Amino acid sequence: MSKVIDVELRNIMKKFQNNVVVRDFNLQVEQGEFVSFLGPSGCGKTTTLNMIAGFLDPDEGELLIKGRRMNGVPPYKRELGMVFQTYSLFPHMTVAENVAYGLKLRKVGKAEMQERVKRVLELVKLPHVAERYPKQLSGGQRQRIAIARALVIEPSLLLLDEPLSNLDAKLREELRDELKRLHQEIGVTTIFVTHDQEEALSLSDRIVVLNHGRVEQIGTPEEIYNRPASEFVHTFIGKTNRLEGVVLAQDGESLTVKTMGGLIVRAARQQRVFVPGERVAMFVRPEKIRMADGAAASEVNHVSGQLMIASFLGAFTECEVKVGGHTLSVKVQMDGQGMPLTPGRAVNCRWESEDVLVMPAERG
Amino acid sequence: MSKRISILLLTAPSMIVLLGVFLIPMLLMLLLSFQDDTQAFSLQNYLLFIQDPFYLEILWRTIRISLWTVLCTLLLGFPVAMFMAQASGRMRGVVTILILAPHLISVVIRNFGWVVVLGEKGWINETLLRLGVIDQPLRLMYNELGVVIGLTDSFIAYMVLAIATSLYAIDPSLSKVASILGASRLRTFFTVTLPLTLPGIIAGTTLVFSLSMSAFVTPALMGGTSVKVMPVIAYEQIMSTLNWPLGAALSFLLLGSTILLVTLYTRLIETKRYKEVFAS
Repeated sequence: MSKVIDVELRNIMKKFQNNVVVRDFNLQVEQGEFVSFLGPSGCGKTTTLNMIAGFLDPDEGELLIKGRRMNGVPPYKRELGMVFQTYSLFPHMTVAENVAYGLKLRKVGKAEMQERVKRVLELVKLPHVAERYPKQLSGGQRQRIAIARALVIEPSLLLLDEPLSNLDAKLREELRDELKRLHQEIGVTTIFVTHDQEEALSLSDRIVVLNHGRVEQIGTPEEIYNRPASEFVHTFIGKTNRLEGVVLAQDGESLTVKTMGGLIVRAARQQRVFVPGERVAMFVRPEKIRMADGAAASEVNHVSGQLMIASFLGAFTECEVKVGGHTLSVKVQMDGQGMPLTPGRAVNCRWESEDVLVMPAERG
Repeated sequence: MSKRISILLLTAPSMIVLLGVFLIPMLLMLLLSFQDDTQAFSLQNYLLFIQDPFYLEILWRTIRISLWTVLCTLLLGFPVAMFMAQASGRMRGVVTILILAPHLISVVIRNFGWVVVLGEKGWINETLLRLGVIDQPLRLMYNELGVVIGLTDSFIAYMVLAIATSLYAIDPSLSKVASILGASRLRTFFTVTLPLTLPGIIAGTTLVFSLSMSAFVTPALMGGTSVKVMPVIAYEQIMSTLNWPLGAALSFLLLGSTILLVTLYTRLIETKRYKEVFAS
């Protein structure tokens, strides 16, 4: 069974004056897929979304939606739904009128319009606010209505431009789950722009990581997290420890590296081949490091250190451990039988060679 | 308590000035308007106005000219305000200066400037005659058209700035939303931009209307002797005919009709919905 491609970007390039903000963007989004554009501000994610929406036109490349070439087609002829960061409800219309706006433009009959407005308000669990004005709603409610307004026209594609960024932490999480539920229920193809890696990881089928207008990696959340294509992807997504060093030895199965701080680290086989003498950067996630009381026997990937800072964060405690010339960040699960985490304590840290990621050193 | 006293003290000088030069003279004029030739109390000035079609026609002409001025400043000013709203901060400053700059020159001088443009030997007529478009010069001033042109020139800045202020407050993503929901630019303008500019339109139109109703210099210079409006005949009664009571009555009739029309207008337009949407 061949898959239906809803959106296709072919070699998209966009520049403002002489400044190239998006280059060589290639992507195929399948029907029903939830794809996130993730990256820091200025990475080109919003520019790309605006090109898909039709507010901007690519300088090079082709954009196809449902197989139709869209270059030069104005936004109002694209049949899309879009939700903005600032809610953007029409303040002079009631909630029901806001939601009905797109239906009115499509000359939907009155009875059907009322029915569809009612249904979509139930979908976002706000059927009781239909007669209110936007300013009488809370931020979370406004964003739900904005989503309802985008969905009611049954768009071929839903574009979300950082829709959760203006909400406070708890509400953001709530609405994130809501988005996930809505996507599962109606299965509309969705492109979601965010700078928040957690949002991207939890919602997406696939993530496009962008940096300086370039696509760094396209992959599932697991691929992005566990098999990052570049140092940027790895460091942008999740917390990590970075250790720089020089390759001492390399056999078929593993790689031994001496760090600048004097540690000997062994890493399991990497996708790329490294040669002895090569400068590398190694990464170990804080949650992959196990910490225990007392000094370490001098083994590989097992080091002695001193606990410097312990920050209790509820489900876990984040520790900083000074090891030789390095400071390691370690995530410790609190299970009651743990040792007291007093600063200054002698501890040892251990990790598996499979959990070490090695990249060519870009800096330094 | 002491705060109230200090507020009273601080406002006292301006209050006294307003009382002395504005409120008291107004009251004196009001009393004067109810006097006849023998200085006895009488309604004759007001009755004269109601009974004489000459005066009613002048009031109607004043209103008519003011309404045309409102329409012209609105239609010409809206695009300028739109341009300002989407321009950069720097460009906005430049346009604001350009709009206000003519006000640095006395309105008398500016009206004479219009003679050079609109007069019988003005460049519009000269050009059209030379091109053979017309054989007789067009009458572009010393009629109602001339007055409307002059007033539009005088008051368009108020309209532009009032509307621009309203436009600045509109979230630019609203027109993006309308567009993505399927509205053409024209549709977006009429369903989103225009309704949200209503407070500015109301402010601009009432301002320009009131100013036009009470304008004296421009109608006197651009209208000549044939196009008389209320302020002009009130002036004539007081300065030439020396019939102060009638002049006073005409002034209050003008004031009354302006207040009445503006009140009716705002009542009509500020519906329940308007209040719900725009109340702060």
